[in-house]
Amino acid sequence: MPAGDNSATRFSPLARIDAGNVNGLRPVWTFSTGVLGGHEGQPLVVNNTMYVVTPYPNVLYAFDLAREGYPLKWKYRPAVNPNAVGMACCDAINRGAFYVNGMIIYNLLDGHTVAIDANTGREVWKTQIADLAQGETTPVAPFVVGNRVIVGASGGEFGIHGWTKGLDLATGHIAWTAYNTGPDSLVLVKPGVFKPFYDTGTQLALTSWPKDAWKIGGGPVWGWMSYDPSLDLVYYGVGNPAPYNAEQRVGDNKWTNSVLARRPEDGSLVWAYQFTPHDGWDYDAVSEMILADLTIGGRKRTVLVHFDKNGFAYTIDRATGEVLVAKPFVEVNWAKGVDLKTGRPVLDSSKMTGASKGNVKNICPTLEGGKSPASPAAYSPRTGLFYVSTNNMCMDYAATQAAHIRGTPYIGATTPYHAGPGGNMGAFIAWDAATGRRVWEIREKYPVWSGVLATGGSVVFYGTLDGWFKAVDARSGKPLWKFKVGSGIVGNPITYTGPDGRQYVAIYAGIGGDWFLLAGDVRSDDPADVRPPADFMQDIARYTSQGGMVWIFGL
Amino acid sequence: MDIRAVGATAGSVVLAALLVVGCRQHEGARTPAVTGSTELIRAGAAPPAVRHDEHVAAGGVQPPGAIITNPYQGDARSAKQGEALFSSMNCDGCHGGGATGWVGPSLADGRWRYGAADGEIFQSIWYGRPHGMPAYGGIANTEAVWKLVTYVQSLQPPEDVPTEAWK
Repeated sequence: MPAGDNSATRFSPLARIDAGNVNGLRPVWTFSTGVLGGHEGQPLVVNNTMYVVTPYPNVLYAFDLAREGYPLKWKYRPAVNPNAVGMACCDAINRGAFYVNGMIIYNLLDGHTVAIDANTGREVWKTQIADLAQGETTPVAPFVVGNRVIVGASGGEFGIHGWTKGLDLATGHIAWTAYNTGPDSLVLVKPGVFKPFYDTGTQLALTSWPKDAWKIGGGPVWGWMSYDPSLDLVYYGVGNPAPYNAEQRVGDNKWTNSVLARRPEDGSLVWAYQFTPHDGWDYDAVSEMILADLTIGGRKRTVLVHFDKNGFAYTIDRATGEVLVAKPFVEVNWAKGVDLKTGRPVLDSSKMTGASKGNVKNICPTLEGGKSPASPAAYSPRTGLFYVSTNNMCMDYAATQAAHIRGTPYIGATTPYHAGPGGNMGAFIAWDAATGRRVWEIREKYPVWSGVLATGGSVVFYGTLDGWFKAVDARSGKPLWKFKVGSGIVGNPITYTGPDGRQYVAIYAGIGGDWFLLAGDVRSDDPADVRPPADFMQDIARYTSQGGMVWIFGL
Repeated sequence: MDIRAVGATAGSVVLAALLVVGCRQHEGARTPAVTGSTELIRAGAAPPAVRHDEHVAAGGVQPPGAIITNPYQGDARSAKQGEALFSSMNCDGCHGGGATGWVGPSLADGRWRYGAADGEIFQSIWYGRPHGMPAYGGIANTEAVWKLVTYVQSLQPPEDVPTEAWK
């Protein structure tokens, strides 16, 4: 599965590559995907086969790792509606596939989920889950629990009515649809089942909106999911409310920017917690919920740990939704803290935005997030630390009245960025989630936008926007190794044992996602689209350009 | 009138007039609607098929087709109104503020995927394009689309588009 386990730890116990020998790592194989654009997500390795999903047009490759040169067993080239490219807010990316029961399951950008026979490459089923005409696109990686394939849709910038759906694993039929906003009947809130820690009453996702605003209020699902089998709860985050001009949607706007805990079988909501009520900063909460067992204040707690776009790291009791620790992991000034009694942020009124407030200056972090949900963190049970790619940037936020025109963006804000304190735009950090404390930090010139891999060899891997793939010591953060790959890294490293018994590490190169939008000068393939550099990042195109490569490293 | 049969040379004037007639149906609309609201403009008559002179013509012979001209070409006030439409119709959500490119391409670099001629830009907006450019002709009238064309044509490309250099 995308994150290696149900707990979304991105930890592998493999230890042949360790802090002592990682500096001998060298590339052993590369493959051009033939596609440009942001290579987010990660390969899967199952039964000596590596599966790679490309950005649009979502080609699925199956490489035979048991043969010299890893030739393809097959490739699957679906017919994907090209309109999806323009309906996706932020580059035509894909976050990867899930392997289960001999099938590779993934989403096509144009609103379809497909199940492909992992041996033959033939389509087992294909289900339309989303509607492009409504502004819905589907880059998210599916998550499978039991006989349910759980999927969601992007479109927080198009005024979608956000949802998750549970598909039947064998047939792909839609078993349930759970909206993130609206009346209890649509949100799958059932009396006696739904027990949020902080909220009381019914129809919370309806009454926290102006009339009908919830129908076009966003609430997309495009991050990573996790599952606790003993509680039978699946966890995922919900994205931003639409539009960005908060004055058009007075109220908390539940359950945007929230973590939801649902029963996978029927989708019913068990608890929910909203990180950023009435969001005026585009702080999607779709970053992964990493499940861990930590000792907090002398007590053993079963928690989920979440690094929000809003700059706070939350440690939450995953059975109840009670917030145990909430501390900033980057520079934060929109809120002074989180009140653990109410669960609500303590706001700085001078950083509240809206069309009537004009241009509000210097809000930290930016809407890219203190950490991007696109770049999932890792947790090592060996060190007890969380490893996080972070952004050190702040923004101005000028909201304007937005008109909802179906099939077009529904935004209403201009939000230029600048580097945060210190001038470095990113950092890679280790975090102690029991106390809410940064243990070490590696400063990076550019925002850090890759996922993370932690290993039993006490090595942590991540990549940079200018194309360095790096290994550092899990305990000290000491840099151990780096290699310059063909394009900036926005994907997630994985490790596996090959048919020869050796340990390998794989990563995609291919700058994109928001960084294609923000640094359009990394493009070279379209003579009719020539852009100036981003004003806050004048030189990234000096070091990288678009690409699409799979890299495998070994000793 | 069979607009498809209008020849290339004589056609432009006639068709410009036709489109102005199309606009007159909406007289009293003054400024195109959609400014800051969801009020939509009723669609006018269908615009003619335009010829793409930059396409390679088989046998060296251009097909019959129209060349239509922007009735507001170079008009600063129309460009200003087009700029307001560019925001209120959510064009900036994809092409970026100032149309310098976002998920959609830059419209401020003096380069055009689907042709730089007035009618080609008009058709891109009216009928949409592959890869997600929505068709606006169902909700915007010809006047509004021409003002959008006027706005994007008014954007001055930077002095040196092809070269990006670092010190």
